[in-house]
Amino acid sequence: MSTIKGETIATEANGPAIELEGLTKHYGGTAAVENLTLAVPRGTTLGLIGPNGAGKSTTIKMLMGMLTIDAGRARILGLDVSENMPAIKQRIGYVPELHQTYRWMRISELIGFTRSFYKTWNDDVCDSLLDLFGLDRRKKVKQLSKGMLTKVSLLLAVSHEPEVLILDEPMSGLDPLVREEFLDGVLRVVCERQCTVLFSSHALGDVQRMADNVAMLYDGKLLVHCPVDELLSSAKRVRAVLRDGVLPRWQPPETIWQQVQRREWLLTVNPCSPALLDQLQAENPVEHVEVNSVGLEDLFKDYVKGRRGTP
Amino acid sequence: MKIDPNNHVPIFLQIVEQIAASIAAGVFRPGESLPAQRSLAVSLGVNPNTVQKALDELERRGLVVSRRGVGMFVTDRGNESALTQTEEVVAEAFRRGLIAARESNLTGARMMKIFENVLLEMYESRETP
Repeated sequence: MSTIKGETIATEANGPAIELEGLTKHYGGTAAVENLTLAVPRGTTLGLIGPNGAGKSTTIKMLMGMLTIDAGRARILGLDVSENMPAIKQRIGYVPELHQTYRWMRISELIGFTRSFYKTWNDDVCDSLLDLFGLDRRKKVKQLSKGMLTKVSLLLAVSHEPEVLILDEPMSGLDPLVREEFLDGVLRVVCERQCTVLFSSHALGDVQRMADNVAMLYDGKLLVHCPVDELLSSAKRVRAVLRDGVLPRWQPPETIWQQVQRREWLLTVNPCSPALLDQLQAENPVEHVEVNSVGLEDLFKDYVKGRRGTP
Repeated sequence: MKIDPNNHVPIFLQIVEQIAASIAAGVFRPGESLPAQRSLAVSLGVNPNTVQKALDELERRGLVVSRRGVGMFVTDRGNESALTQTEEVVAEAFRRGLIAARESNLTGARMMKIFENVLLEMYESRETP
């Protein structure tokens, strides 16, 4: 028995920090999240991106046990979220999109209150973040600006030294300076321990800076899930000049989005390869072809436009 | 060092190029250590795994060597190799500019003229800041 027990512990410690398997949520007849399967390895950061209504928040809320799961399962640190939420909450930190918190309390009271829920609360972590963020603990929550509230929210989410940090669009609506400070706070947490992070965001620059891997959702489905660097090197924007009065005849199956305007044929492909470019030139009446890199922001837009079928 | 999070160049490569440029410029000399992974991550505002990837790449290119538990050190030939690699980065930037010029059918002579003008512009502005 001891070996079996030993093995279970080993898989739990080496397995992914977050695992989603066929995760599904319906609202009425429409699927908000459909058959979503992905894993976040320990010590890595995943950026969850997608247009509004793609299912990012729904996914995070299911993960946090705030929404029931219609089908599939979600595990954090090897524990099923539908059965073990109290135990999981001791080991993870969560910063919600909206900071609903106790408005009448002072920051110090809010810290004392939150502290009482956690066995592993570390006052040093809490104090150093209060300093880093320049927060006055005597201030009342209702007097705080949105930026300060977000920083308090982060501080409360990480002072018990969680193994996993989940952030739901934490930086939306913050000014650039507060965003820097917030990211700085997250980075310190990530650097000090091998913390696993899952965050959803519309700020693709932040995703590029913070994330090892990126997962793109659209209409509740997973479109892309890969290392950020790999995506940036494999995807290309191709610009072909068409001969007079002709249209493209062959379109690569790797096309994400395309547009023809007069003689210019633009297409974004992932992955791009020399073979793809050869075939493109062999099968189409083009004069010349130029290949360029694409940033994450443009790539994201192309994926979304390609799905919607609009140029 | 400053990274551009909206650039299409992967961030670990931006870090590689900038550290290589710093080594070439003598900011970090042979035998000296680079800043630690964590402090680089916090100061650049990037994921520590990304910094590690950049440091691994610099080691693969022979610019730095890691000493277990101590950190990354510039190799004896680090400065020289960094200079060569910076030359390649510059050549690549020129290549891109020249492709743009060729597509607009600019002649070699006009390209040379542009190059001279830009060079003059930069050095004049340097002398009179």
